[in-house]
Amino acid sequence: MAGVTSGGRGAAFDPLKHSQPLGGALAFLGLARCIPLLHGAQGCSAFAKALLTRHFREPIPLQSTAINDVSAVLGSSDSLLSALDTINERQRPDVVGVLTTGLTEVSEEDMLGVLGSSRYAAGSRGPMVIPVSTPDFHGGLSDGWSAALQGIVAAVPATGVTVPGRAAVLVGPALTAVDLDEIADLVRAFGLDPVVVPDLSGSLDGHLDENWSPLTTGGTTVDALLGLASCEVVITIGSAAAAAGGALAAKAGAPLISHDHASGLAATDRLVTDLTRYTGVAAPDAARRWRRRLADGLMDSHFVLGGAKVAIALEPDQLVAVGSLLYDVGAEIVTAVSPTDADVLRCAPWEEVVIGDFVDLSERAEAAGAELVVASSHGADAAAVIGAAHLTMGFPVYDRMGAQLRATSGYRGSLQLLVDAANRLLEHRESHRATGPSRARRASAEQLEELAC
Amino acid sequence: MAALTKIDAAALFDEPACDHNRAKDPKARKTGCSRPKPGGTAGGCAFDGAMITLVPIADVAHVVHGPIACAGNSWDGRGSLSSGPTLYRRGFSTDLGEQDVVFGGEQRLYDTIVEAARRHHPPAVFVYSTCVTAMIGDDFDAVCAAAATATGIPVVPVNSPGFAGSKNFGNRLAGQALLEHVIGTVEPAFTTPYDVNLVGEYNIAGELWDVTPVLAKLGIRVLASISGDARYADVAAAHRAKATMVVCSRALLSLARGLQDRYGIPWFEGSFYGIRAMRDTLRGFARLLDDKELSWRAEELIAAEEAALATALVPYRERLVGARAVLYTGGVKSWSLVSALQDLGVEVVASGATKSTEDDVDKITELLGPDGIVIRNGTPAELLRVAADTQADILIAGGRNQYTALKGKLPFLDVNQERHHAFAGYPGMIEFARRLDLALSSPVWEQVRAAAPWDDPDPAGPTGQRIAGPGGVAATAAAAADVDVDVDADADADIDDDEVF
Ligand code: SF4
Repeated sequence: MAGVTSGGRGAAFDPLKHSQPLGGALAFLGLARCIPLLHGAQGCSAFAKALLTRHFREPIPLQSTAINDVSAVLGSSDSLLSALDTINERQRPDVVGVLTTGLTEVSEEDMLGVLGSSRYAAGSRGPMVIPVSTPDFHGGLSDGWSAALQGIVAAVPATGVTVPGRAAVLVGPALTAVDLDEIADLVRAFGLDPVVVPDLSGSLDGHLDENWSPLTTGGTTVDALLGLASCEVVITIGSAAAAAGGALAAKAGAPLISHDHASGLAATDRLVTDLTRYTGVAAPDAARRWRRRLADGLMDSHFVLGGAKVAIALEPDQLVAVGSLLYDVGAEIVTAVSPTDADVLRCAPWEEVVIGDFVDLSERAEAAGAELVVASSHGADAAAVIGAAHLTMGFPVYDRMGAQLRATSGYRGSLQLLVDAANRLLEHRESHRATGPSRARRASAEQLEELAC
Repeated sequence: MAALTKIDAAALFDEPACDHNRAKDPKARKTGCSRPKPGGTAGGCAFDGAMITLVPIADVAHVVHGPIACAGNSWDGRGSLSSGPTLYRRGFSTDLGEQDVVFGGEQRLYDTIVEAARRHHPPAVFVYSTCVTAMIGDDFDAVCAAAATATGIPVVPVNSPGFAGSKNFGNRLAGQALLEHVIGTVEPAFTTPYDVNLVGEYNIAGELWDVTPVLAKLGIRVLASISGDARYADVAAAHRAKATMVVCSRALLSLARGLQDRYGIPWFEGSFYGIRAMRDTLRGFARLLDDKELSWRAEELIAAEEAALATALVPYRERLVGARAVLYTGGVKSWSLVSALQDLGVEVVASGATKSTEDDVDKITELLGPDGIVIRNGTPAELLRVAADTQADILIAGGRNQYTALKGKLPFLDVNQERHHAFAGYPGMIEFARRLDLALSSPVWEQVRAAAPWDDPDPAGPTGQRIAGPGGVAATAAAAADVDVDVDADADADIDDDEVF
């Protein structure tokens, strides 16, 4: 049980936090033939788009209602409707996720009311328009993701029927494309038919299609969404999906299997246990094989990671997931920084989580003598300054390739992440090996000892 | 809306030096450039533009007053390089929360400025207002003034709420802030008759460092670079320059005009991209500095540099000649790059003309010839269509369109803000040729355009050399090169994908 404290500075210096609309947009990018629409001035979407493009190395469908100095004051609903008209005409999406920003929240306009009495009201023909409130001045990326996912579930119609085998798998923002594949395969191996929401493994995994499209080119389809409430069970991975999972389970009258993450042996065991109990199907061979490998890998890597001082700065779910994995192999989590508060942080097995920024990270990590910094590309400078190794994870990752193709969850992904972390540390120790007299002396003393044996 | 009214938008829009606006009738001119279309916009906001122009001042702390969106999604994301201080790359945000939105963010702003100054001891702090802080009516200028008193360093307010306009408008707001608060406040240690300002050059990928040495050969000193690799004190001393060059930037003509009006510094517009542009630029400086001997030396230098460059470019030109390019960029670059490409023997089949004036368009048309296409609406779909219609070999554009090209399996070269390679000056021309060649001749294009095995139009074709006939031994791919293996079409058909791979 970790205590959650504040970094103590009002402002953010080298911010770790990203805005709610960005997180919301990210969630919508996991729906097929979808385009998120930021309801605000045009800069917000331009920045978000540039950053998402940098991270995913993919074209990012994203539009703006382009509020200007006049509509900011006199009312933005016309801009919202005309943006929807333009998008509907030009891109013909199946889903539009509308996300408010600080600007449109400050003016306190009734977006739901405006949409509800328009041609884009729920249930009307045309694209499914899902409005979500995501003010910039509240929460962060994970909250935006969570809000969007709740919006999606709210827009899903109750069906009154249950399709045997259908499993709604609602996920948080911590999972990579490969993780999502892995989880879906695992669920499938228990005889269930998973519908992953949102499914970034289909849209932002980096794939080459025949034709260029201005919309997402994969992800959860609208048909799958329309049938989502017919699921026989709801599974959530990630606390940012928990609230939406609860709502869907209630709507579908289905049981809920809820997990904060699937990182590490114990956490994956719990997920597999739940799936076995629920389905009565024996754990699949692949899981058994990878569990044996992970168990072995834990032993191998504890020589490297055991006692290693680790500083982590990630979004709440991922912070707890990655931190738990490293904690479980014997690393010491000397600093853990989250951009925003979340209940899941209190479940971290180490002592303290600080709500803060990269300055909090680097100051504390340096004071604690951290050797490994786990953070996004923005953490590279902090790691360099304190002379620590940097394992690049989270968002945004722009100075490394393949962020979406790295496995981090489940038996296999946990093993992969352990290996990555251990290798980063080994590489770093190798290149920073002291050549000074103290080490030479120590080495020769060891050699003497060896000779004596 | 208190802060917003402080921006003299009308005065800024009413900018006679902007041909863009000059072409409009007086009424249209008052409203400035057209507003972005809801649902059909791609550009950044005024705040973005202001940051683009000012953030490269490397020793300054740039504080963003607003909720996290503005700074959180943009800090450390710019390609301007510094030869020294790195403070400009740090992100300082007041990170406004709900409380501040209700009760005002002034105290928080004040504390943030003071804290940034205390930690880093910069020569100045630049503070940017954003949409939300303009809406809640914080008295931005007053807080900056108070913080300046408290810290003893200049605190420069940049009123740049995103909704006020486009990126271009933001560039202009930034120029205005420099004129109002910075330029003229510091005297240079010494001056020379050949001190110049560069306006609108941001040292992306270190381009400035390919240009200053050439200028130095003529004895020209860049007194103030606005703002690539700049230091605050140099920018503040810009009023002592003898000439200003506006580099590929329509938006900052207002700054050059301001320098002329206030300090009598003459200016010209130019570009560092391409042989012809460099020639014009060096001559432009010689002309404005009004020195016969300098003109003479400039001609000598141009001749020597061009001769050396011609030799260096020979191998590239051989490989590039006849390649067909679609260029999509804005403003001055839309024609200066055309000439740079043509210098390399590349045929520019189409060029974009967003943010370009009629003057630019005339130049493009003249350079492209009668068959050349001027692209006015550069949606990704449209760019790909033009590329297909013209059978272009490459798209040369801003990073925003990189993935448009790649998803269309089209080679791509980035020439805008986010580019990683320096293309300015004479060395830049060689790099430009090299990058073009690498993009065009990459071995990946053939592979990604090839049909997948399951889409093979000729399934009976001789693809199965690794598979032996009945009773035979499957040869490895290496052995197949010199062993003649019988290909059995029927056996081939029985093999499924998994086994072949
Ligand atoms: S549009 Fe406004 S809120 Fe959005 S990034 Fe620009 S200044 Fe910030």
